[in-house]
Amino acid sequence: MNFKVRFMLVCVIVLIMFILHNSFFLWDLDSRIPLLFGFMPFAYSYYAGYAVLSVLVMKAIISLAWPDPPKEVTDQFTDKESSKH
Amino acid sequence: MINVIGIGLLAIYFLILVAIGVYGGWIARKTREDYFMAGRGLGSIAVFMALFASNITAFTIIGHAGFAYEAGYGAYGYVIGWSIFITPFTYYLVGYRSWLLGKRYGFATQPQVFGGIFNSRLISLLFLVLLIYYTLPYLVVSIIGGGLAFTTVTEGLVPYWLSALVIIAISLIYTLPAGLRGTVWTDIFQGSLFLIVAVLLLSAVARALGGFSEITDEIVRDNPAMLERGLSEQLAPINWFSYSFINSIAVIVFPQIYTRILATRSSGNLKQVSMYYPLALAAIFGVSTLMGVWGSVAVPGLEGQEADNIVPLLIHQFLSPTWMILGLVVVLAIVKSSIDSQLLAVTHLVTVDFLPNIKRITSGQAVFWGRVILVFFAVLAFYIALIQPGAILSIAGFAFSGFSVMLPVMIGALYWSRANKYGAAAALIIPAIMLHLWYLEVLPQWTTFGFMPVFPSFVLAVLILIVVSLLTPPPSPEQREKTFGLFERVFK
Repeated sequence: MNFKVRFMLVCVIVLIMFILHNSFFLWDLDSRIPLLFGFMPFAYSYYAGYAVLSVLVMKAIISLAWPDPPKEVTDQFTDKESSKH
Repeated sequence: MINVIGIGLLAIYFLILVAIGVYGGWIARKTREDYFMAGRGLGSIAVFMALFASNITAFTIIGHAGFAYEAGYGAYGYVIGWSIFITPFTYYLVGYRSWLLGKRYGFATQPQVFGGIFNSRLISLLFLVLLIYYTLPYLVVSIIGGGLAFTTVTEGLVPYWLSALVIIAISLIYTLPAGLRGTVWTDIFQGSLFLIVAVLLLSAVARALGGFSEITDEIVRDNPAMLERGLSEQLAPINWFSYSFINSIAVIVFPQIYTRILATRSSGNLKQVSMYYPLALAAIFGVSTLMGVWGSVAVPGLEGQEADNIVPLLIHQFLSPTWMILGLVVVLAIVKSSIDSQLLAVTHLVTVDFLPNIKRITSGQAVFWGRVILVFFAVLAFYIALIQPGAILSIAGFAFSGFSVMLPVMIGALYWSRANKYGAAAALIIPAIMLHLWYLEVLPQWTTFGFMPVFPSFVLAVLILIVVSLLTPPPSPEQREKTFGLFERVFK
């Protein structure tokens, strides 16, 4: 898969995350399940879960579309320290 | 209320900051690159804490808790929800490509990176002016917030002017000798401190109020509206959507954040920071959300700005005086870690992007002039914080939006090789003017179609960049090769 396709996938992931944040269609759940597991307010625990999901999504984005600079590029860096990953 | 333990804790806190400054100044090399960029050698933990501590301001504990007091649990998602993901994502989207250019061409600031991409002094100047214009008022507001919090917690024992002076003076003590290295080291200390103490404070408040389940049951029983986002006027979907374009995407544009990313040692370090950043943001805002919502049942009846005092009030009413001092340390740590980075950022911009236009300076002289300018901005910010002119406070009110509407130009410059300096200049100037016209109520409210002004300004910036770039000559092949040739060798 070339970089353009992988980057398009990243854009789709970002769009899904944006929709999950602006998920007004789920707001009804605030009253239907006021306390998740009997103690966690839904509106609050939704974003605790969103934070965990964000870590996983960032991990996916990194493996999908975040290559380290190759040696031919780091050799041209004004600061050579950066070639060490 | 201040006891011996409290004074001792405060003294230890200040002494650690001073020691870090003295040591940082002692080992620093007297070069521009070392003073402002810590030799571009920041590792994962240093960058993580530097970005986090600079990102978190007094608003997190004071303003956000006050907002949660009124809006309920939904305040969490409204204020920080989108940031939890998009802020670290922008470290990839904008940060990594900028870092590559910085490493390759020695760029250290936005005026250098984007002036360099477009090969335009005008773009460089626009970035310089806009970044200083939005950062300075924001810096002043941080000082005002910190000063007021210090005075409130000490119950007026330390007057406001002295509080503001202490906050700036302590920030200067470690920033002046050690530059970025000093602020980063103190960020590691202060960032860890406020995360740990904030969690301890939360558990102490929970215990004092009868336990987590007990408080939650009380909220369900007495104030169920706190659980439902649909019942809050402030969280109306159109505001919720618009707010996605304010603080979350503005962070990467802050010069203090951007410079720290350029100062990162390696791509691997930046990846680690981006991956774990969501957890830190969620944690600190999670604490202040709970404090605010719990406060609505524990200390009911606060209205308007009174609600912003909910955290000090909770500590004052339910915990011992030593906790009050620990709370004060949290507020000071949060306030100072953002003030020092903002001060250094504006100093950096003026020293490397403005001063060389009027005076030839060597790398060593840049450090000297940097220190002079740092003191100048510290004194200026202190003076403005004392007189609190309305115009400055108005600008601070929409500084986040101002930063956000600069983002389309930054993304366009890094991803679209057809973007040119004409499009970029127009997309920086026109949306900034529109934002002023909307926020200062020169234009009627209906012209934003119900959105917050930042959203139409952002869309305008995107459209102007595209249209003006396409209507004017493209960048030269050499100019494109300089930026996109490098990217093509990395992103295969």
